[in-house]
Amino acid sequence: MSDFSMSRKLASFVCLIGGAALLIISLIMDASKSGVTYRGAFLVIGIIGMLVGLFIFPTLKYHRTLMNIVFLFPLLFAFLVTVSIPLILGIRYSFTNWDGIRFTKEVGFDNYIKMFQQPSFIWSILITFLFVVVNMIMVNVVAFLLALLCTSKIKGLGFFRASYFLPNLIGGIVLGYIWQFIFANVVTKLTTAISGNRYSMLAETSTAFVAIIIVYVWQYAGYIMLIYITGLNTVPGDVLEAAAIDGTTPIQTLFQIKIPMIAPTITICTFLTLTSAFKQFDVNLALTNGTGSVADFMGAYLTNGTEMLALNIYNTAVIKDNYALGEAKAVLFFIILAAVSILQVRISNSKEVEL
Amino acid sequence: MKKKLIALIMAGVMAVGLTACGGSAATSTDAAADSGAADDAADTADAADTSAADTGDGIRLLNGKPEIDNQLQDLAKKYKEETGANVTVETIGGDTSASDELKKMYQADNMPDIFVIEANQADTWDGMLVDFTGEAWTDDTDYELTHDTMGVIGFPYTVEATALAYNGDVLEKAGVDPASLTSPAAWKEAVEKIDSQKADLGLTAVFGWCAEPANLGWSSGTHVFGQYLDAGLKQDDKTYIDLLNDGGQIDEARMKDFAEFVGMMNDYSDPDLLVDGTYDNQVKGFAEGKYAFVTQGNWINGTVTSNENYSGFSMGFAPYAFEDGIDTIIAGPPSYWVAYSDGNVDAAKAFLQWVSDDSAQDILVNDAGLISPFSDCKFDAADPFYTSIKSYMDSGKTSGWHTMLKKDGLQNETCQVFADYAQGKLDADGFVSTIGQVIKTYYAEN
Repeated sequence: MSDFSMSRKLASFVCLIGGAALLIISLIMDASKSGVTYRGAFLVIGIIGMLVGLFIFPTLKYHRTLMNIVFLFPLLFAFLVTVSIPLILGIRYSFTNWDGIRFTKEVGFDNYIKMFQQPSFIWSILITFLFVVVNMIMVNVVAFLLALLCTSKIKGLGFFRASYFLPNLIGGIVLGYIWQFIFANVVTKLTTAISGNRYSMLAETSTAFVAIIIVYVWQYAGYIMLIYITGLNTVPGDVLEAAAIDGTTPIQTLFQIKIPMIAPTITICTFLTLTSAFKQFDVNLALTNGTGSVADFMGAYLTNGTEMLALNIYNTAVIKDNYALGEAKAVLFFIILAAVSILQVRISNSKEVEL
Repeated sequence: MKKKLIALIMAGVMAVGLTACGGSAATSTDAAADSGAADDAADTADAADTSAADTGDGIRLLNGKPEIDNQLQDLAKKYKEETGANVTVETIGGDTSASDELKKMYQADNMPDIFVIEANQADTWDGMLVDFTGEAWTDDTDYELTHDTMGVIGFPYTVEATALAYNGDVLEKAGVDPASLTSPAAWKEAVEKIDSQKADLGLTAVFGWCAEPANLGWSSGTHVFGQYLDAGLKQDDKTYIDLLNDGGQIDEARMKDFAEFVGMMNDYSDPDLLVDGTYDNQVKGFAEGKYAFVTQGNWINGTVTSNENYSGFSMGFAPYAFEDGIDTIIAGPPSYWVAYSDGNVDAAKAFLQWVSDDSAQDILVNDAGLISPFSDCKFDAADPFYTSIKSYMDSGKTSGWHTMLKKDGLQNETCQVFADYAQGKLDADGFVSTIGQVIKTYYAEN
């Protein structure tokens, strides 16, 4: 490899050393809290200088690796800054008495012990699980029925598909406020006429919980429906035709042919609803803000009847100004979601092998 | 060779991309750092013993009251005209979000020089706020915020009052003198009297009282609950708030009287508003003359007077007289401006001093409709509640906003108890025992 000229070697070393020097200077400036505005430019130019130096370094051996790193860098950097570092910091803070500004002492597992002593938190966990189970069933059933409707030969198919999917395009917060208005006015008129109770569904914990489920199903079923439509469309026409020739009834076709053929779709949809129901936050916040009373739960009167896990974490940290405890709860939340995701990957993988 | 060329070009594009990103990042930090740099420049300027105002350095003010954003921008413009110094006003809506935003700003090392806090948030910033002791404006007001270790830290920019706001015309027609409403018996008599003439007076209900918890929890949980803490007490009397902050205790006898009074409000309130109402409907109903009393404060004035069906009736405040002889309303600054000690302190002090003086008070009082906390302010507030508030202030019958000293977030718990009481799930005794338990648990858990 003697065909590398002297000037190229020189340029490589100049770039490397210059880049490193700029990088170090910028880091020193950062550490010493100097307010110089060209600090950022120094950092970027330094890194680029080092990369260029490495690239024209008198060997081609590592070019591919270097290119891989350069092209992966934006993604890796974003992932590191927005996911990895906050995760590690969050776990760290959960063992301290952090108040969002600073912490003065390590408290060990105190936050973790404390959160399980809060009846309100246990309640949040319970209703979140209840919400997940109910929604997993409701959303899938409703979405599947809508998908059947939208793959049949009725008129105005495009209109139905679009209108069922539309709620999913509206943000949860907006949706929550719209439905709050609907529940407080229109629905209340109906329920008053039926039951004689003049207060809205949102005023009572149990009915408010039902209200959240209604809104969530309304919002999410259209999205899941689209996936089911895709699944139903992949059922081969010849199989259906053969079944029709054999004289199956539509019900038989549905249960013996269509549903078994779209089993993988059902798995995917189930897990999609599962994870998204767990993370339910925006509709919960906008519709009830977690309010609702529970007269007696574990010997306490609770004021967070409809507060689900994600909202409980937010309220603990931001509203009650207890950031460390909120972090501890968030770590538990992370563990639950991670377990669900791992399970999902496992099951979908084994299903794929089967088919 | 071609491949290498392409690779090189790609790398070049990437590098340019990076610099571009870096460039934009640099400019954004620039903008943010601008004030930072200005701070540093000011620090050096201070070191060189030149006044900060001369160098034309900027300070940043974080405002938590969206409704006066425009007026504060005018204020900044006027300050620039008069002194040449820059003030940048940033506004964040709502009370809790401002404090949350501040924590993010702190983590990002992007703190404004002056920002808004509520009294119970002072401890969070322990050691980071400027002590204003000795500033000229502190002699002109009784409402500054004083902290045990940091000294005088809070600049009062407005006085707000809350009690039962009344529609003066309705009371006059019904033959009720608001000045006489200083005992539960007098209230009961007056309320029954008004209730019996509802149709003649065009009222929907006597009270526009709303205990809806999800969106109006701050009203019941902070303001109405604050009456239990302060009604009838002197401005600096902290008896019940101290009791509350000592592990969440309540005075049961006082709470019982308070509960009876709230029970009367529940009975004579508009049932459509009581459990499911909204702030908008509550204020709108009052503005349209449908309610004789409304459980809000003087901040509703703009919404009321700008309502198209507002008849021009007079307004004032009556005390929550749940015990005999209670004749005070809650009045004082609900939040304060504080200065960040690592910020541009001298410029911040100079600005606050200027705000307490005439040309700034002109804007705050006459344009923004605020009530001045400064005794040397020569402007009468345009606020329709002003006459009533002023008469309470002049006779020393104002109680403090100690409800702002309760533990952060407590209002979100207690408001639910108010809602259950309003729905009839609890009676007065149940209200007392439940609210006691909720408060105690909250203080134990957080």
